[in-house]
Amino acid sequence: MRLEKLPADYAKRLSDLECPDFTTRPWVEGKPLKERRVAIVSSAGLTVRGDRVFRGRDADYRAIPSTTSSNDLLCSHISINFDRNGFQEDWNVVFPLDRLNELAAEGAIGSVAATHYSFMGATDPVQMVDGAKEVAGKLKSDQVDAVLLTSV
Amino acid sequence: MSALGHYLEEEGIASVAIALIRPQAEKTRPPRALWVPFELGRPIGPPSDPVFQKRVVLAALQMLVEPGGPVRIADFPDDDPREAPDSNWRPPIPPSGERGAAAVEAELRTLARAYAGSCTRRERSTVGLSGLPPAQCGEYFAGWLRGERPESPIADMSPALALRFVIDDLKAFALEAALSPGAKPSSQQLGDWLWDETALGAAIQTLRRDFLAGDDERLKQLAFFFVPSLRVAPS
Repeated sequence: MRLEKLPADYAKRLSDLECPDFTTRPWVEGKPLKERRVAIVSSAGLTVRGDRVFRGRDADYRAIPSTTSSNDLLCSHISINFDRNGFQEDWNVVFPLDRLNELAAEGAIGSVAATHYSFMGATDPVQMVDGAKEVAGKLKSDQVDAVLLTSV
Repeated sequence: MSALGHYLEEEGIASVAIALIRPQAEKTRPPRALWVPFELGRPIGPPSDPVFQKRVVLAALQMLVEPGGPVRIADFPDDDPREAPDSNWRPPIPPSGERGAAAVEAELRTLARAYAGSCTRRERSTVGLSGLPPAQCGEYFAGWLRGERPESPIADMSPALALRFVIDDLKAFALEAALSPGAKPSSQQLGDWLWDETALGAAIQTLRRDFLAGDDERLKQLAFFFVPSLRVAPS
């Protein structure tokens, strides 16, 4: 987002939002991209139709199988201050599963994870630690070694 | 989002975040982040533009195999071409000066055909958070507009929470009805139409104003989740 396009006070509010101050600097290296198994982890409050919607600033997560159809992915993020038209027209704007599948078919990446995950981005990140660790365990079980994090 | 990068990387999984607000990424200092200049809600950029989207995804993934970290923040160079308005786009219905519950219900009935066509064309809909069909969403919303306090039509949700998801569904219903074939409207165009020209948009604004002026603290809190900050009508 080019903040200069927004009203100054609104841009300042976004810019000044409190963020966690991490003291560690983790950095994992790995195989070439064409050998990586990639998952999407989103903070857009995505949920599969029929699964529990995010009702507020929930700290848990939802699983999104790779077999999910675009008609079955909903966005239940609590914030109304971001565009939803893009996602309504094309889910890849938020959840680029079709693009990952194409990249895998082209050999640019190794493969696409069996399951992807979504959190609720309006939640205090500190509360997401347990959920994130759980997701990490599930990603490892799926042999995932690369995660694309998408926010809204 | 960048915080999740920290947590996953601490667990041994490499990650790259697509960041929309650069100052937030700079403060959180994730292992890797690609800042994109797109509007909030569009981390991968323009809808229905697979070539552009793939460039964004690849630019981010490429950072996974580049040296120079920890903490690498790169910038994607190109703006979203879909931010430009499309002069060929037309709203699905003409502007209506009619307001109130009956006008909203009539408008929703008029939009139903365009919505159905849009769903068929796109083979999808994002309506469904409430679990109610659009017509029932309209009835429930209209009840609140008439000053009633309808019982929740959703088994495990309070009336207020049900209202929040019903309003989300009605906004999606109208905006998906406005996705006409061949046109590429910007979010600004769609938002201008919904909030300035429809009975639905006006009614949501009215309900927000009424809730904020009322005594019910639960409804006051709820009202903040009806209208985007930059679309709140002056009182």
